[in-house]
Amino acid sequence: MNIHRADFPHLKWSLLVLLSVLCAGGSLIILSHLFVTHAQTKRAHAQHQLNDSRKQLATALQDQENINIYSAEYGELVKRNIIGDDQRLDWIEGLEKIHQQHLVVDFKYALAPQHPYISPTPLDNGNFTLNMSDMTLQLDLLHEGQLISFFNALHRDIKGLFILDHCTLERSADSSSSTQLKADCGGGWLTLKNSSIK
Amino acid sequence: MLLLSAAHCQVCTWQQGKFSAAEFFTDNAEGYKAFTARMQICRDPVYLLTDLVEEDFRHETEPHLHGKDRTAVIQRKLEQYYRNTPFRQAVTLQRRKDGRHDDEMLFSALTHPELITPWLDIMAENCLPLAGIYSLPNISLPLVKNIASDYLLLLSWNKHTGLRQTYFDQKMLRFSRLTPISESNSFSATVETEAMRSQQYLKNLSMLSPEHALNVVIICHANDRIELSKSLHDDSEMHYTYLDIQELGGQLKSKTIYPDSDATLLFLHLLASHPPRNNYATAEHTHFLRLLTIRHALFGLSAALSVASLLVTAAQIIAGNSLDEDSKLLTSKSLQLTKQTRELVNTLPKTSASATDMKTAVLLSRKLNAIFPPPQNLLKGLGQTLEDFPNIRINKITWQPGLTEAIAGTVSPQKMIAGTLPAQIILLNGELEEFSGDFRSALDHLEHLRQALIQRGYSVTALTLPLDISPQGNIAADTCDGSIKPATFSLKILWQAAT
Repeated sequence: MNIHRADFPHLKWSLLVLLSVLCAGGSLIILSHLFVTHAQTKRAHAQHQLNDSRKQLATALQDQENINIYSAEYGELVKRNIIGDDQRLDWIEGLEKIHQQHLVVDFKYALAPQHPYISPTPLDNGNFTLNMSDMTLQLDLLHEGQLISFFNALHRDIKGLFILDHCTLERSADSSSSTQLKADCGGGWLTLKNSSIK
Repeated sequence: MLLLSAAHCQVCTWQQGKFSAAEFFTDNAEGYKAFTARMQICRDPVYLLTDLVEEDFRHETEPHLHGKDRTAVIQRKLEQYYRNTPFRQAVTLQRRKDGRHDDEMLFSALTHPELITPWLDIMAENCLPLAGIYSLPNISLPLVKNIASDYLLLLSWNKHTGLRQTYFDQKMLRFSRLTPISESNSFSATVETEAMRSQQYLKNLSMLSPEHALNVVIICHANDRIELSKSLHDDSEMHYTYLDIQELGGQLKSKTIYPDSDATLLFLHLLASHPPRNNYATAEHTHFLRLLTIRHALFGLSAALSVASLLVTAAQIIAGNSLDEDSKLLTSKSLQLTKQTRELVNTLPKTSASATDMKTAVLLSRKLNAIFPPPQNLLKGLGQTLEDFPNIRINKITWQPGLTEAIAGTVSPQKMIAGTLPAQIILLNGELEEFSGDFRSALDHLEHLRQALIQRGYSVTALTLPLDISPQGNIAADTCDGSIKPATFSLKILWQAAT
């Protein structure tokens, strides 16, 4: 069927109504779609907020548990100057006190400058930087038990964390000397520096 | 509904089987003027039924064709037969079962267009939606389709036009004629005379074989039937059947009361309720009906779109509200958790470091202590074992963490996970005291030492022994020299603290 220009007056109202419906209906659908999209965004944001709140609560609970478990031991580390900077004077004084106790025949030590510590095994350092002050020890001993006593005293009486890396215990070559054994040991004083605390 | 005869045009409205009072417009200027006024207030589709003498029927057999060829053939025939009228049509009656299986067709036309055109022009001027132009014979088939007769002449009477006789051969329209009834002749007398004439005419045109009787079916009122049955008698050539107009109307669900045998309203009802597909109107005539259909379709589409958009909008709003409710619930939960967290944090003691840092520092110190154990841990088991071997003298002992060594499961330091401790390597050099040169018992003794260390959890490898008895070893001795060399040995011992 052919529709001519002259026919448009007969169809104008129906076309106008259709056009109006298309405009109004389209607008309604677009607006309602925007409403839904906005609601979806709002819900996603609320869900995200809830997830964050859950995580924060879980973190707080974890913190509570960690404090209960570790705070006393951490306090001990602080008290022993393991957390923080080098306390070389403490170490020297402590070594001098051990010397006065005559736990070994004699000993010499040498402290090297502090350097960042690289662990032989992977360690979870967290916010901590590990620093090491290397120390070598030469000890004259009557028997091997003195070595154990010496290091027990070192751990017990000196504030700090001394790690004994290696040791060589050998019979003294000079049989006339009172010294039976010689020990040559290496290790260092380790400190933990919390980089999150300025 | 319009019924057009030669003298006038009858107009009435039809709604749910009922007709309004008929209005008559005469075929002159005055009638046209009144008709124009009437049409100006009419907006509904108009059905035009013609009952004119000037209608011609031609029965033809045409080759069975399709598409453009068929249209061209039909158009050529229509041009040939009815060149001077636009009111023409071709209807396929049936396909022959013999010969070439040609189509039997009925070509018909209203041959005096001047009778119709003025009325159509008025309707076109008023933009009236004309549904079609029908003729009374063309719409009559439903009245006879249930009558078991192959040669049937249907007679009906229209008060304003006359007696209409339509002949059906095997339920197919073949011929029709209209005879005006003069006031001097009675209905029954005219029926008898005209039926005889029609029979003779059909025989002359070979439409009716002499051996076949013609079944004359008369639509009449019950009152006229009595009179008709008195004057009309069946014989070998003619059989008369009567259709009660009121009963017929009832069968067609007409609600009109028929006071006499005038079948005008019956046919108008038949047209309104069963309009046939074929009619005489051209596309130009029904142009405004198509515009009306488009208008209705556009309004319908608008309504459907309105409903659809409202439904979609409603669904989206419901979904949006539901999401909003969800958001409120989630926000409320979130606030509750935040409050709970704040209360919990307030109860925690103030510390110089965070709880996580505390944990890290403590675990670090524990790990370092485990990696570098105090010497007593390392040597305790070794010392206890050596107490059982008093003739073994230790000359030198060295220990250090073995970065590439592991007692159980050889893992490289790069792959070593936190929690796996490196093994400590102890190198032990010594000699057997009071060695008399009995290498066999010396080696056995050292093997016993090795086994004893293994039982205490050490992993032991002999680096050197007093005598290398392996196939790759070199052995040299001076039998003249009576001195005995010391039975020295060295062991590599791996020890790993429990994690």
